[in-house]
Amino acid sequence: MQQTEAEYLRILKSRLVGTLTDDELADVLSDYSEHFRMGKANGRKEEELFCSLGSPEDVAREIRATHLVNKAESDRSCGNLLHAIGATLGLGLFNLVFVLVPFILLVVLLFVVFILGIVFTVFGPAAGIYAILQILGLPAFAIWQSPVAGVFFSLGITTFGLLLVIGDYFLARFSYHLGIRYLKWNIGVITGTERVA
Amino acid sequence: MNLRGISATRIILWLVAITIVSFAIGFGILALNGGSSPSGDHPFTPFRNNALLTSNTTLIPLDEATSGDVRLTLGAGDLTLRGGAPDTALMEATVFTEAGIWQPELAQEVNNAQKVVTITEKGHTGKTWFAVDSPNRWEIRLSDTIPIRLEENVGAGDNTLRLGTLNLETLSVHTGAGDTIVDLSGYHGGRFDATIKTGVGDLTLRIPQTSNTRIVVHQGIGDINEDGFIRHDDTYITAGFNSSIAVNQITLNQGVGSITLEAV
Repeated sequence: MQQTEAEYLRILKSRLVGTLTDDELADVLSDYSEHFRMGKANGRKEEELFCSLGSPEDVAREIRATHLVNKAESDRSCGNLLHAIGATLGLGLFNLVFVLVPFILLVVLLFVVFILGIVFTVFGPAAGIYAILQILGLPAFAIWQSPVAGVFFSLGITTFGLLLVIGDYFLARFSYHLGIRYLKWNIGVITGTERVA
Repeated sequence: MNLRGISATRIILWLVAITIVSFAIGFGILALNGGSSPSGDHPFTPFRNNALLTSNTTLIPLDEATSGDVRLTLGAGDLTLRGGAPDTALMEATVFTEAGIWQPELAQEVNNAQKVVTITEKGHTGKTWFAVDSPNRWEIRLSDTIPIRLEENVGAGDNTLRLGTLNLETLSVHTGAGDTIVDLSGYHGGRFDATIKTGVGDLTLRIPQTSNTRIVVHQGIGDINEDGFIRHDDTYITAGFNSSIAVNQITLNQGVGSITLEAV
């Protein structure tokens, strides 16, 4: 389909409205207008410039993904990370494997560690109470081989649970940081077309 | 993350230290008391785990005896006793225990057509708080066909006797600490005398309401609940009791705990 510069910019604008702020959108459109102007001044044809840039839909997807990843990096939140991942998934079907699968595995890991931490944190004091009742001679609560050892094991289980929860928090932070870098690398690998800075 | 000037690093280091020290002390106590058995086939656990118990069933034949004398001593653990042993056997004893050292000693002989069987497990006394509990469980079936003199001692643990199908001559039950149930409902055997002594724990005694039974209760601290008896001071008799015919005489000595008497 024969396309003009105006139509290219219109499509680009329509795809980025709502994602970028008005100022950011104006900057992007200005950059691409300048790119077209410079290309034509250098004697390049519009079709040639369109081919080098790629379709406006693809360009919009790349800009959107880059913008959302940068936003997730500067403003850390689960929502921003999910938006960034969603935008990155839109860059290609194979990202279902290279982005979505690792992300799901990571979320499952963090969730499992968190649940384990909570379970240990709750179970520890409960088992400690059982140990004390066992020391007091109530056979119904005899869950420990040695009740005094049970008191210490209960304390250890509780603190271990707290360590798991705290460790999960730091693991989540580290994973967030690593995930952003991975998404940036992924976008860089996928973006093989000429880019307008 | 700061909590009133305490850094997260310091909190984490304290938690790590407490965790390591706690587990080290716990495992140390178990090791000193023989709880971590490296020779065992089962994975080590600081918990009592009945799933780890191995069973050992012993069939003790009648050996042409016409009566039985059974003496059981269980230091620590739960004991369940009932009828239903095979016809040619005085007893079928299944012992669930975690370690071979806690297997009881068995002695048997025949004296004047009476089969005498003694099963003894002395338990582990003197190390209560730090002790690695012996998770013993005995399940014993006795012959329903011959008269039996039954003597039973349980140091600490629950004691459940379902004797309705047996033919008793005498019954002696002694429980140190734990709940005791003596269920004689449906009993159609011969006359017997019984002595039941419990230290700390609840006691439940069920007897047939049609039986000619007298129960004398000596209780320390606790309540007595009865259903279906006629009471005279510390003596409970069944409805229709007649002292001129054969009487089942039961004496209860209870230290601390409730007593429940049921005529069913």
